[in-house]
Amino acid sequence: MRAIFKIALGIIAALGGFLDIGDLVFNTQAGALFRYDLLWAVVLGTAGIAVYAEMCGRVAAVTQRPVFDVIRMRLGFGMGLVGLIASTLVNLLTVAAELGGLAIILELLFDATFSMFVVVAAIGLVVVVALLPFGGIERLFGYCGLMMLVFIATALHQGPDWGEVAHGFVPSFSGSTLYLYFVVGVFAAALMPYEVHFYSSGAIEEGWTESSLRENRLNAIVGYSLGGILACALVVSGFLFHPVGVDPSDLGTVALPAQGAFGETGLLLALGGMMFCIGGAAVDSSFSASYNLAQFLGWEWGRYRGPRKAPRFTASWLVFLFLAMLIVLSGINPVEITEYSVVFSVVALPLTYLPILMIAGDRSFMGKHANGRVSTLLGWAYFALIVVLAVAAVPLLLATNGGGG
Amino acid sequence: MRSGEPIFIAHRLLDEQILDSEGRRCGRVDDIELRGTPPRITALLVGVALYPRRLPRRLRGLARRLAGPERWGANAMRVPWEEVDEVDTAVHLRGKAEELGLGNGDHPENWMVKRLPWN
Amino acid sequence: MRVERRWRWVPAAASIAALSICATGCGDLSRAELSRGVESLSALAAQGGLIANGVARDATKSTYSRVMAKTLGDEAEHEAEKLADATPSPEVTRERDAAVQIAGEIAQLFSELRTFPGDERHGVLVQRHMREAKERADAVVTRLTGEAP
Repeated sequence: MRAIFKIALGIIAALGGFLDIGDLVFNTQAGALFRYDLLWAVVLGTAGIAVYAEMCGRVAAVTQRPVFDVIRMRLGFGMGLVGLIASTLVNLLTVAAELGGLAIILELLFDATFSMFVVVAAIGLVVVVALLPFGGIERLFGYCGLMMLVFIATALHQGPDWGEVAHGFVPSFSGSTLYLYFVVGVFAAALMPYEVHFYSSGAIEEGWTESSLRENRLNAIVGYSLGGILACALVVSGFLFHPVGVDPSDLGTVALPAQGAFGETGLLLALGGMMFCIGGAAVDSSFSASYNLAQFLGWEWGRYRGPRKAPRFTASWLVFLFLAMLIVLSGINPVEITEYSVVFSVVALPLTYLPILMIAGDRSFMGKHANGRVSTLLGWAYFALIVVLAVAAVPLLLATNGGGG
Repeated sequence: MRSGEPIFIAHRLLDEQILDSEGRRCGRVDDIELRGTPPRITALLVGVALYPRRLPRRLRGLARRLAGPERWGANAMRVPWEEVDEVDTAVHLRGKAEELGLGNGDHPENWMVKRLPWN
Repeated sequence: MRVERRWRWVPAAASIAALSICATGCGDLSRAELSRGVESLSALAAQGGLIANGVARDATKSTYSRVMAKTLGDEAEHEAEKLADATPSPEVTRERDAAVQIAGEIAQLFSELRTFPGDERHGVLVQRHMREAKERADAVVTRLTGEAP
């Protein structure tokens, strides 16, 4: 009974922590520009992260190897270093985007200067991480992120044409370059690698072993699938802006439908939910950067070790947070940073996905827990898809002028 | 050991995480020392100074400049093969990290670590 | 190098083509660009209406309304300046002037929301004016493109 409760809590935390600023920006814009036509891409991306995360969690539980341990072992020092550098740069951009997003939300709630909120947000994150253990941090952001459920309520309140919504789950190709760019963007925003790298290291932080495999499967598959419903709700609520041609590239605009439907309560739930989602993502992406560095170089790592036993890991985390803060304070629009972080992360994705796929299917490492026929098929199918998207991403970014059309 | 084995084992050992007797992470196997005929593993080599060897020739010069010259005992450590206890999902050592000079970067007496705000 | 006879007309044709393309509006505000600009004004007005509606019903947070009004107001002003600075191609001058005026009005309405983010009466007025501004913007778009937005 306790086990079921624990698993349920894990699923809830995964649901609440599923979205980040990338999803908020890309999914709402997708709804505004293309109505429900990109829902299939949301589902595809959600299934992708479920597949990837389940594999990473299984590898970590069975072999006690997090992602960058596998990468260094499988790709060697040279190629592994390429993967590390690419991941670190992308993670840095992501942390900056999330930090900027946090500052925007704080500004909307408390109205003072943006720059001040950037610093406040960074300090706030340090305080939370310093005070809480790993599990506590994840639960705090995960449970509070459940406020995002107001977006499902908003979507239902808008009374969409469910027939048309259903139609959106069937892949279609409008053929426009902008549509293709958003296919990549929506998919990439759902399948952000930092989230999976964090999940893999988190498995070891939480002491998962072979007995945790069912928890891993349920967390990854059920938790992330439910999160996908939230992501779809963003698309549907974005559609409110479609007939009026609003471009919801403003975070504040994302919350507007909730305000329209449920007044001040709806607005506060939306903004609060966004704040915890984005805050959780800032922690996850900054931790991910430090995990990757420490694991690749063989340092001691982990929140569970504490700053005294893992000084280099902790110091590198603070440095990454500080660098991200500088990036935001430099004046670049956080929403623009978000677009770059999402697009470049899908470009770097094949390099970190392939080694995991190979180890997860390798019986000499995984024993009886190696990929079965379904996992192998899904794993390789997604790899092919990821490679196609990785190649198409930057050309589409340039062709659409950053999604500007 | 059969003639094919040491090379296979060396290949399998390279880049593995090293854990000391207390389970502390103290570096990765950055290179392996093979001696004799047939070649036998005599030591594991760990350290930043060994990175340039692992990179393609063109990048070696730059990497050497960044990592500094090989100073054995400082930025390059030799762990004799006898110190290895077991190899499963990581390389487990018989002794503690500080006895072997490993994991210096995380050691509380390290000059940089002492200066960190929480120490 | 002797150029073959049949290709000699190419440079002349190319220059004529280039000149005529420039004559139709190289660097000028074209019909399509202006229409995009006015569409974004329509979108700003729509958002402004939603925000003002929240204020009118006292169903929103005043900090949110104020910050949104500032951001969107800045966008409207920026659009106004952009349209005013550009040289319109002759057939869209009238529409361009109308767009500049609408942009200015929208910016002014947002400025009012900024000053009175909690005042319900102002919310009602701004919402109505925003709707009117949006209708006028949509009318301009229809005139430009010949189709409803």
